[in-house]
Formats: sequence, C-alpha cells, structure tokens
Amino acid sequence: MVSVAFDRLEIQGNILRGYRRNLVRHLVLEVRNRDAARRFLGVAAAGGSDDVPRITNEAPGRARPDAFFNIGLTFAGLRALGAPQDTLASFPTEFVEGMTRRALKLGDFGPGAPEHWPQPFDNPARVHIVASIYADFKASLDKAQAQVAPAFTIVGVLDGRSLPNQKVFFDYKDNISQPRFQGIDDPEQRRVDEPKDPLGTVLLGHPTRFEGLEFGVPVPRELGFNGSYNAFRVLRQDAAGFERYLTTAAERLLSHPDVGQLLPKGEEGWIGAGLDRVGALREIVAAQMCGRWRNGVPLALSPDSPLPEPGVSETNFDYPRGSTCPAGSHIRRANPRGGQIVQRIANRTRRLVRRGMSYGPDFDPKLPDDAERGLLGNFIGASLGAQFEAVMYDWINLGLQDPDITGSNDPLLGANEPETSWFDLRLRNGGHIRLRGFPRFVWARGGAYTFLPSLPAITYLSKLTG
Amino acid sequence: MTEEEMAKKAVEALDIVPGGDTRRRPVHTNGVGVEGHFVASEAARDYCVAEHFQGGKIKVTARFSNGSGKTALHDGWSDVRGLAVRFHLEQDKQEERAVDLLAMTLTEFFTPTYETFLKFASYTNPEAPVTRQSAWRKLLELLELIQPALPAPYPGQTTSSVAGALRYADEHARSELSIFHAAAIGAPKSYARAAYHAVHTFFAVAPDGTRRAVRFNWVPVSGVLNTGPEDPVVDDYLKSDLQLRIKGKLGIGTDPEPVRFILMMTIGETGDDFDDPSRSWPPHRTRIVMGTLTIDAVASDQDADGERLSFNPWRLVEGLEPSNDPILSLRRNAYEFSRKRRGGVAGCPFSGV
Amino acid sequence: MAGESGFDTFVDDLPRKWWFKLLANWIVIPFWAWLRPTPPLPGGPRPTPQPSENVQRMMNLVMPLKDKSPLGRAYAAMAVAQNVNEIFAGLDNVGTVHFARFVVIGDNLCMISVYDGDFTNYIRDFIATVGSVFDAIMDLVEGGEAVKPCETKIDAFIDWIHAHDLFQAPDLPTDLFRLQDAARGVERKREPGLLRSLSREYILQLNANPNFSLGGGYRAYPGFSVAQVRQKLGVGW
Repeated sequence: MVSVAFDRLEIQGNILRGYRRNLVRHLVLEVRNRDAARRFLGVAAAGGSDDVPRITNEAPGRARPDAFFNIGLTFAGLRALGAPQDTLASFPTEFVEGMTRRALKLGDFGPGAPEHWPQPFDNPARVHIVASIYADFKASLDKAQAQVAPAFTIVGVLDGRSLPNQKVFFDYKDNISQPRFQGIDDPEQRRVDEPKDPLGTVLLGHPTRFEGLEFGVPVPRELGFNGSYNAFRVLRQDAAGFERYLTTAAERLLSHPDVGQLLPKGEEGWIGAGLDRVGALREIVAAQMCGRWRNGVPLALSPDSPLPEPGVSETNFDYPRGSTCPAGSHIRRANPRGGQIVQRIANRTRRLVRRGMSYGPDFDPKLPDDAERGLLGNFIGASLGAQFEAVMYDWINLGLQDPDITGSNDPLLGANEPETSWFDLRLRNGGHIRLRGFPRFVWARGGAYTFLPSLPAITYLSKLTG
Repeated sequence: MTEEEMAKKAVEALDIVPGGDTRRRPVHTNGVGVEGHFVASEAARDYCVAEHFQGGKIKVTARFSNGSGKTALHDGWSDVRGLAVRFHLEQDKQEERAVDLLAMTLTEFFTPTYETFLKFASYTNPEAPVTRQSAWRKLLELLELIQPALPAPYPGQTTSSVAGALRYADEHARSELSIFHAAAIGAPKSYARAAYHAVHTFFAVAPDGTRRAVRFNWVPVSGVLNTGPEDPVVDDYLKSDLQLRIKGKLGIGTDPEPVRFILMMTIGETGDDFDDPSRSWPPHRTRIVMGTLTIDAVASDQDADGERLSFNPWRLVEGLEPSNDPILSLRRNAYEFSRKRRGGVAGCPFSGV
Repeated sequence: MAGESGFDTFVDDLPRKWWFKLLANWIVIPFWAWLRPTPPLPGGPRPTPQPSENVQRMMNLVMPLKDKSPLGRAYAAMAVAQNVNEIFAGLDNVGTVHFARFVVIGDNLCMISVYDGDFTNYIRDFIATVGSVFDAIMDLVEGGEAVKPCETKIDAFIDWIHAHDLFQAPDLPTDLFRLQDAARGVERKREPGLLRSLSREYILQLNANPNFSLGGGYRAYPGFSVAQVRQKLGVGW
C-alpha cells in the first residue's frame, strides 16, 4: 500500500470534520457565465477577497470565520465549467449518471421519486454546484450569498439549522457516530474507540480498507487527488406520522401476550419519568427502530433504559452475537460495525461521513402538523457506489446483511409501505415481536451527487480554458 | 352514481343485444360445471386462516368456461377461458357457507378502473364484422417489421372484437400487456391443460394476524398445452375431453384419471400494484403452494351445477379480504346484477350488507 | 382459405421464404436500425425496490476469447482451474452467491451466476477478495487489458463487466417500450404507440444486443437469499 504525502490544508474543511454551526444555507448554482464562475472559484480557492468568500479548508485549530464556505460540483457542473472530455470520462458511472438516474437504487420511488421533486431538483441539468455556507447568524449567510450571486445563477436556496441538543425531527439525538481517520486528530472523537479508517475511505488517491483496491482518481490527478464525493439529500421527515405510528404500535403491543418480555409491568419509570404504559412502549419502539434511545444512549449497551446507572458510552460498542440491539435497527443497518454480516468482506468498508441539519418549522408532538420539514444531509465518501449506494441498496433497504432481516427495509429511513413493512422488536428472552403496517417516514425531496474537489483542484478548474 | 348503477352499466356494456340475453351470462356464456374437492397443503395454514386452507377435504363445485359472450359454441377459437371455483365450507345452521375464487387464463385484466372498462367494452363490440387486411397492407407491415394485425378468421367467423381491442391498446398503455397476451392466447387442448389466474389482489390473514397482499393462480398438474396451428379447429370438444379424461378414456391410461390443479399464492411486495388488476406482478415473487384441487366428475345436472350457479369474487371467509381494486369492487355488484337478471341461484352473500 | 387470392397466399408465405429472410436481414432491418437508432440496453437485472427481485439475481457474463482456438479455450480452462481455492474463498466471503459456473460456449468464456443484492457490490466484493482470478481471465479475453489490474481500476472493471453481462429482456414483454424510451431519451408522447410494433422493437433491440437473456430467469423458491437458505438448513451463514 502506498502511503501518500498528505497536506490537510488542501482539503475542503467539511469533509473530515463537522463545523457544528447553528445555521446552514445550501445554494444551488447554475453556471451561466463560464468565465465569471471560473474567476470566482479561483479567488475563493486562493483565500477569498472582499467580493468572494474564502473556501474553508481543513486546518487544525483553525480560526473561526463568521461563515464557513464549501462547494461541490455535479457532473453537469464540471461540464459547464468546461472540463475536457478525458476528464469527464474519468469519473465513475454513478456520479456521471447523477442522483436522479440512480433513484431506484436509493429507494427514491413513489412519493420520493425524482419526478415529484420540487424546484430546483426538478431540473438536474441546471444543478451545477451546491455551495454550502455554515454560520451562527443569518447575516453571515446573507453576506456570503450576496457574494456568490454575481458569478452564478442561484436556482435554489435551502436553509437548515441545528435543532437544540443535537436533535433531529423524530426527536432523536443525532450526529453521534462518525468515522475516524488514520492520521487525523479530531478532538471531538478522542474518546471514541471504533477502529480508525484509512484516509482512502473518504479521500481519493489514498489506500482504502479493501486491501489492494483503490477507487479511481479522476484525471488529471491535480483535479482528482484528495477529492471526495457527496450525496446531498433533501429528506422530508413525516414527524406527525412517526409519532402517530409509535402510538399505534404501543397500543397494539399492550395486549400482546409477550409484551412482558418487552416491558415488565412496573418498569415504565425506567423508560422515562411519569410515562404511562403506552408512553413507555412508544419509547421502546422508537428506540428499537433506531438502535438508540431518543437521548442517544445505544441499545447495544443499555437495552432496558435510556438512563442507565452508571452511564454508558454513546460510541464505544460492537454487535456481538446476541446483541441487545435489533439487527434491523437503523444504526445497525447503516453501520454494522464488527458484527457478523453476510458479506464478510464488507465489514467497515462502507463507512460514510454524515453531516446533516434540519429544515422546516419546529415540530410539537402535542400539536402535530404536516408541514414540510426534514433533513438536509450530506453523505460523504470516496465512492458513491461502494459506500452510499451500497448502504442504501443492500443494507438500509433489503437488509441483505443478516438473514433475520432480509426482505425488510430500515424502519426509519426505508422505502416502506404499510402492506409489506415489518420490523422485529427484540425481547428480553431473545425472542421477537414483529411490528407491521408502518408507512414510509422519510422520503427524498431533492438532491444531487457532487464532487468535493481539493483546493488545488478548484484552482485547476478556475484555470480551464475554452 | 351508486355502485349498483355502475354495476348495471358495466354488465350492460357487455351486452351483445340491447338488454342482454337475460337467460345467460353476459360473458363466459358457455361453460361446463364440474365437481371435486380441494385439500390444502401443509404450508397453507401458516399463511391464511381461511377455513379451506386448514387441510381438511373441502367439497368443490366449479365451472370452466369460454370467455366469449356469444351463445354459439366455438371451443377451438382463440379465447380467454375461465375457471370459477366454489369451496363449500361447513354449514353453519341453515346458512350455506362458501368461498368463490374466479380465475381466467389471462394473467391480467384488461383495464384498471370502471371508466376504462366501459371504454374498453365500447371498443370491443363482439358483433363487429371481421375485417381482413389487404395483401398489400400485409406486405407493407412485413416491411415495417410489424406483427400481422389480425389472425385469419376461422371458418364461419363473421365477427370479431380483436381489431377493436388492438385499437384500444394503441391508445391506452395500461392495457397493452393484457391485450398483447389476449391476442396470442389460442385455444387449450383441454380445460385441464390451462393455467388460470385470479388477477385481483386479496389480503390473506395469517394466524399471527399478518395481512399479506396476495394473488392466486391454478396450475394444471397435467401441464399447459394449446392446440397447434395445424390442428383442425373443432367447435365442441372441451366438455367431452373432461368427461373422457376423468373416466380414463383419453388413451393415457384406462383407470379414471381425476383432473388436478395446484393452487399457488404469490405474495406481493413493496411497489407492486395491489389495486390494479391490469398489471401483472413480475414472476419472481415468493410463491406458496396452497393446495390441490381434484376434479373427479362433470356435473350431471349442468343447468343446476353450472349455468344457474352464480359465483362472486366477494364470497369470502374470515382470513381472506378484498383489496381496494376498483374492478374487484365493480364485480361484486355486477355479478349480483347479472345473477338476478338471469335468475341464477345461490344468492348474494351480502344481502343485508 | 375462401376469398384469398394467390397474392394473399404469396404474402402470407413470405416470412418463410429464404430470399425474403435475406432481404429482411440485409436491407429491411438495417434500414429500420438506421431510422430508429436503438442503443444497446445495459446488462443484468434492473434496480427495483422489491426484495424478491433483489435476491437470486442472474448474471450471464459473456467474454469473447482473444484466442479462438482449442489452445485459447485450453488457456481459459486452465486460468479457471488453477484458481479453485481463490474462487471458494470468494464465494464464502462474499456470502451472496447462490451458484456460479464458468463455461466455454463457442469462442466465449462465460461466467453464469446467481447472486443476491446489488451487482456492483457483488463484483467489488469479489474483486477485493479474489481479484487475481479476474486478472488472469482478463489476459485471455478481448478488451480485458484495459481494465487490468481490476483492483486498481475497479470502477472501469465493474462497467466492463456490466457491459458484458447479457441484457435481460423484460419478463412482461410490453415493458420493452419503456426501457427503450428511457435509453433513447424520449418520452412516448402518444401512448403507447402501435402495440404491434413491439415485434419491430424486439428485432431492433436484438440487433443492438445480439446476445440476451429472455427474462430474468425462473426460480423454484424465489425471494430467499443465500444466507436465509443456509440459516434455514442449519449449515451456518
């Protein structure tokens, strides 16, 4: 395996670590004037100016600017900037085809099908660049947007925000577990004991966890090296429907003969102060579907209560045989860690960096409404096909990794229909109760596959001619 | 419009003469009543709690039929065939209890909705005169690599709805598959040598309460076989074939040879059409062997045990539920209307509903 | 038949005449292929959301041998035979292959297999475990050098395999219209067009995809993965 000299200052700053800001604004840009766009990119990569925001790089102990600014380009965007034919031909098929043509692999059918996506994602040919601004104050977002506007046509603006306490809609604490990378010190991950992933998991041109296998680096190397790919997703979440289903499931469970193996009578208080039996069962269903209690405590370490004494780690666990985390739960499907899976070779090879912020109005479970809200998600890795699509197609949906769940979809994220959906709740005696009849809770409302170039690559793009 | 009025319109849309032949069925007019029994497989009860799937020997009456609504018998002509099966359950006090399963040799129905059905019926007038393509037209289409539009008419055939059906398919993509299949369906060597499909989706309820979207079909144990293109076209052979077959006089063996079918149940999956009978499910779905139907007699009283019997796809039992398929809904009242019109027996299972 | 002229009979018999077949193959079909460009449709099963479509999927990989002689075929046989350990290691680790066969048909080395899940994952996982087997094979087949070594050209290799996997004609025949519309980048305005033109579309498609699979195959116990079968039979997974 070749070890490659690596200068982290050359990497865009949103790949290896998150910014943890209050707000995000994703600008969907069309390149109308190739020269103006190239000039903009050149200045942005070289440190910015009064008129052009600076592209944030991966700097240890970096200064905190008012706004962090990063870009990703679609295949249409590379073409619009004038990338030559041999460059375009060196990108992988899934990126060339783009997210809409991979819809069935991602479960984007029915209500989530691209033909139902609203503007700007109804016209992928005009989605060239997704520029993301992260800041704590709206004024910083507006300022950066005003700087971008002269060089591009802004075809879409998507605003997101962090909900309090790291929560997302559905009220789970999110953004807990991320891959760690060899040679990268992330202070937030120092207490995590998951194995470190090789840099090639997320950056092109570096060794991957597949021994001897490398993901293609687009040519010229200046463009491809240290690049990464992002599946940018606008995911609508049906918060009201989810809460409603929890109640339905809990009420059905009440009379189930095995419910005592799920929640012995009298233990409702372990689940939450003041909860009645239905309320406690709702939380158990929510926890098992996710693999974590809504406060983030993993079922793998604390199956019976979200408030274990003593406390447990949120990140340091595995899935041995007989794990108390259901095989069909969301976090175990998305990352089976070291647990036994059908595709032995695939343990830890499909790791994804996930960065997400919520969009839409607040949700109050006591006054549920159907307003559009959800997640603006970035799913980042060195291969869309080997990581994002592989996870979505074989694991989140289908459940190929474990014969006990094959044929079912992820209860939270999967392409479910009430007629066919199922999920096995794990009982304390090792048995299960099969839940059925839940609808799809999350579906796509837009998105794009983007290439996240290194800073030298952005400079290269700015110097294209013709 | 009430559901009853829709049903009336739907039946009348099939009438060849205004007002219909009030003594016969409007379609599947010619048929053969038969008797036998059904025994469920070991697996069936795990998937459906319905009484006839519990493994006991269930008495069955059934009717094979030709799809045409014309009274003249033409067994040898290309046509869809039907197999309607009634499972007779344990009697409860005075009430007759039964389940009907209606199937046909086409793998899907022609149209998805009431409105499209009426339109389809208006295109497929069985009294339309047979049209022939000119030789020049045929030559042109050969050069266009297009399939011949119309089969050569059978001797004595003067009317045909095929041209109308093809025209309908050209205008309605949803119906192209069924019409493509129907155009090539041919005539079976025997009613015992055809597969029959119940096209609609039902929900089968398992002992643990699981409701599965399912479709049923009958697979003949003796295999599927159509008459060959060189075989003589015979008008009346299907009933005598059954009689001879059951008596063991077909030349295969000398002992009586009951006619058998396996009942297969296909389980639908995410994204399948549950409410659209004009769309087949792809052939890779999990299939459950539900049991074996054995037909051991042609009914001696064809009028009572065939013509006057009235089947209804809504005659169901606990454990089998209808889907929201609009054609299935339509059939509920259409069969009842048709039964009343021709004075059929075995009354409506839903009077009082 | 009554009412038919001699010309009628002549036209009806045309499709069986040798000279008419010649005319069709040399003039009529090339003409239509020119008039209605029909791109080859991609190989293998198409992505769908149904679980039963995503297990027991068929791969029919046809790789033309460079050396079309008994010697060339012998080299192919040797390349496979020398790698039996590697192949078993691949099968057991990838965990999603029901059956796989290498066969030589005509001047082609073919790999015919039944696998679960996504095609690219299947190939990628296989290459990660037993890439050397495919490198040995790539030496022997036309166009193989371009994607060798497959470990470091994995994306190109997967595309190459996909291109050599047979097109699977739809199980519901009229679905071909939709597949072609998508490949031609058109939306069928007048729906659905002449149903009877399906014959022409099949001829044009088989002109573009000379080798193909009729439908996605038939299965005795559809809907179950390798691991489900192994688990149920108690042989471990």
